[in-house]
Amino acid sequence: MFNFSLVEFSISRPKLIVAATVALTLLFLTQFPSIKTDTNPKHMLPENSDVRVWNDEVDKTFALYEDTIVVGVENHAGVLNRETLARIARVTDAIVRLDGVASRDVNSFTTITNVTAEAGTLKVGPLMPGAPQTDAEVEALRAALFGNPLLVDRVISKDGKTTAIYVPLEKDSNGAVIAANIREIVSGEKGPERYYIAGDPVARDTFGAEMFKLMAVFAPIAGMIMFAAIQLMFRNLALSFAMMGVSMAAIIWSMGLLIGVGLPVHIMSSMAPVFLMAIATDSIHIFNEFYFRYRERGDKLAAIRETMAAVSRPVRFTALATTAGFAVLLFMNIVPVQVFGGLIAFGTVVLRLFSFSLIPAILTFVKEENIAKAAKGESVELSLAARFLHRIAGVGATRPLATALVGLVLVVVAIVGTTKIHVNNNLVAWFKQSSEIRVADTAMNQALGGTSLGYLVVQSNEADFVKRPEAMRWLEGLQRHLETLPVVGKTFSVADYVKRINRVLHDDDPKFDTVPDTRDTVGQYLFLFGMSAKPADLDNVVDSGFQKANLMVQLKTWDAEAMRQVIQAADAYQKAHPLAATVRPAGIAYFNLVWNDEVLGDLVLGLGLALVVVFVILALDFRSAKWALVAYVPLLFTILLIYGVVGFTGKDFDMPLSVMSTLSLGMAVDFSIHFISRFRQRLAETGGALSEEALREALLWTAARPGKGILRNALLFAAAFSVMLFAPLTPYIAVGAFIVSMMLLSALLTILYLPALVMLGQRWLFDQQKPGVDTAPAPTKGD
Amino acid sequence: MKCWKIWMIAALLPLAFTSQAQALSGEEVMKQSQAAFLYPGKDFKARVVMKLINNGGQERVRELTMLRKNMGEAGGDQKYFMYFFQPSDVKDMTFMIHKYPAKDDDRWMFIPAINMVKRIAAQDKRSSFVGSDFTYEDVSGRDIEDDSHAVEREEKVGDRDCYVVKSTPKGADSDFGYKFTWIDKTNFLPLKEEQYDRKRARYKQFSADEIADVKGVPTVVNLCPHRGPFGNSNNV
Repeated sequence: MFNFSLVEFSISRPKLIVAATVALTLLFLTQFPSIKTDTNPKHMLPENSDVRVWNDEVDKTFALYEDTIVVGVENHAGVLNRETLARIARVTDAIVRLDGVASRDVNSFTTITNVTAEAGTLKVGPLMPGAPQTDAEVEALRAALFGNPLLVDRVISKDGKTTAIYVPLEKDSNGAVIAANIREIVSGEKGPERYYIAGDPVARDTFGAEMFKLMAVFAPIAGMIMFAAIQLMFRNLALSFAMMGVSMAAIIWSMGLLIGVGLPVHIMSSMAPVFLMAIATDSIHIFNEFYFRYRERGDKLAAIRETMAAVSRPVRFTALATTAGFAVLLFMNIVPVQVFGGLIAFGTVVLRLFSFSLIPAILTFVKEENIAKAAKGESVELSLAARFLHRIAGVGATRPLATALVGLVLVVVAIVGTTKIHVNNNLVAWFKQSSEIRVADTAMNQALGGTSLGYLVVQSNEADFVKRPEAMRWLEGLQRHLETLPVVGKTFSVADYVKRINRVLHDDDPKFDTVPDTRDTVGQYLFLFGMSAKPADLDNVVDSGFQKANLMVQLKTWDAEAMRQVIQAADAYQKAHPLAATVRPAGIAYFNLVWNDEVLGDLVLGLGLALVVVFVILALDFRSAKWALVAYVPLLFTILLIYGVVGFTGKDFDMPLSVMSTLSLGMAVDFSIHFISRFRQRLAETGGALSEEALREALLWTAARPGKGILRNALLFAAAFSVMLFAPLTPYIAVGAFIVSMMLLSALLTILYLPALVMLGQRWLFDQQKPGVDTAPAPTKGD
Repeated sequence: MKCWKIWMIAALLPLAFTSQAQALSGEEVMKQSQAAFLYPGKDFKARVVMKLINNGGQERVRELTMLRKNMGEAGGDQKYFMYFFQPSDVKDMTFMIHKYPAKDDDRWMFIPAINMVKRIAAQDKRSSFVGSDFTYEDVSGRDIEDDSHAVEREEKVGDRDCYVVKSTPKGADSDFGYKFTWIDKTNFLPLKEEQYDRKRARYKQFSADEIADVKGVPTVVNLCPHRGPFGNSNNV
């Protein structure tokens, strides 16, 4: 067997193995300096995905910018005073001069186009060309602002306390640098105003910083906690270092490979170090068994061989299950999830390779007297933990029916909980409540029209279709209809310009705040407007052939559901008011919706795949579908319970959580594999008759001895992930909480329910093989 | 720091000398160019056909008759009158401009659909000329005094010897950060213009692709803008 020769080789040439590992690790480490991060939510879906291709097309058709930074300016005494206005003018002027800013299309008081009637003249120009010098000018500005519905909720809040500067960025400019420059500009202004800097580029930048924090601060802390925990468990520094060394090497290999092949680190892969560290704890089973064996035999090399023989099968199969669980992610639609799956699958394989080479090699270095000292505590009789496990398993083994019934009740409750789950990805909610970006987003959403932007592109095949008065009125009607939705803050379309011009041409008479009756009138108004305003004003809302109109919808929330409501409302409106045109959603809000649905689809697909794959692996391992089914129960139970809790608490089921649920199958199944493998081995080793008493005895032994490995594994896993509970981004916290509870719960459920199920199903499980244990895999061959 | 200053002065000196050595200053060249481009003859009448071609290759046509009358010397007041034929929904729209140097223009628009003449105050610096990539300034000229001009170098465009004039706006109200104009040394027609934004990125350029003698006055008959990453391409 390959593994055996590898183990033998590693014991005989331990130094070579260590040196080779160090050399390879250094090689992978050389890739680290070229690390890149990708925090653009758009990259969640592949570049050729329909929604991205379409959104790019819409951006091009309507000359829209991909990225805009929004600078909110708030003054509790109101922004319409000479001092604040002077500051706004200064800040805008400085921003316009920044590299990478699309200066021509910056919209602020000083640059936004205003259409007014003044003494019989139609005036089209910047709202406030310069800061007002007199109070009368300020009042005139106030009248202009609140007299033009196009400006209210866009550059001025209804209460007059907040304004915004919209800063579109040129393609490929560095949003982080620009945001930093803007921060510097506003920090130079000393006044009562408060400035908020929000927008996609800022969010991405913050995100990237937090990701590095997770990798550079939280992963090492997790490592230290694990180190301390291992040290507590085994009281042997050499062993603790070995464990850490193994996980560090696996992390460096995996991340080195990722960086080396040129992939950027994304939100998911930034969690890889913590994951690999936790997965590395599976080798705890090797140490666990080694200690027991050493105590029994007193011969180091023999103990190593025996240990490897005893644990090799479960360790290999758990690794296979974990690898498969992650590899399932390669079939997902979300790019970072695919990368993450591949990354961890690779890391797990590396870890398992180490289990059969590096770990035995290191074990040969450990001084005998140290092991002897530490191993003293490793006796089933003495250990507190072992006794505790013994008792838990005892409950399951002696009262299997009651245990199962309680489980059944819990399952029913959990299923009720799962029906309450709602999938939602709210990217802004990924930041903590107190983070700068959340504060800015909340403030801007309260004051102005909404920070999340969706588009509805109305298109027809007919040239100049948009100029038809019925199309204009239809747009207007749709806007009013959408505005009845609570999630919609403000809508904007070419109809707003037409109405505005109609009114202004007629001396600001409110009677004319309507769409005119003929197509020529609309055409002439738009011609006039196009000749007087900034090119972008018209380009953003209508295409050059007037076949397509862009209805902009500002949403007050980043919840994916908001855009779904908009689309449904638009559909309903179109059904009630048929028009020879199609309506197609676009924009970042739409992207989030599509992505959100992909997450849901992936969740179902991933869970399904993982369930099948894990079952096949279990069946292969046990060479029995029945045992596979038994091993399945604690796993399903754990996941159902966690889903139930997620459902009851009302927490958004988002991408990281859905990925976790797929993965958790592959990770939580480990405990069942270890338990059942070792239990059947025990039965084979003791070779006793299949009496109920013998079964119970074997179950309790398994719970106490390999069970201790399981408990240790679960505790280490939980310890590593508990660090993420203090992480700065909510997905990390959710993942941490998920893994911690899953590990502890599945360890507990394995040790409680497997004995109960085995006792309940003994007839069924053993019926074909009266002696019972012949067909159990016999890894003792190598003994 | 001292070395730096000395070096700066040393670098500036030859520049100062070369510009003096030239017969014409940047200002002069631009003045003559505007006279040749925007003020040729006493008056002017043209039927202008603009084809606006968007990214998708879609073509839209603007057709108008343009009249111009110089009220005095080159560089003085002008009157423009534009009458539109196409697109059909703007037929009969009429645009009248009284252009004054160093002062806002007066403009009036006739809107036939509602039979109304309206006076219009617009920000001509940046607004599009009839939906094309040209701004009003591109078409009717920018006040010489709004920018400082310097002859940067001399260069050939095709087989024509040109001055290359760099114009930098004095105020902050313009769209561009600076622009280069290639001006024919013999007839002073601008053959090429490149506009750069404040970040020194070129975002717009025009070239006069065809020049013909009209009644003995050389005139640009095909002017073609090429714009940066987006936008239309249109021929006049």
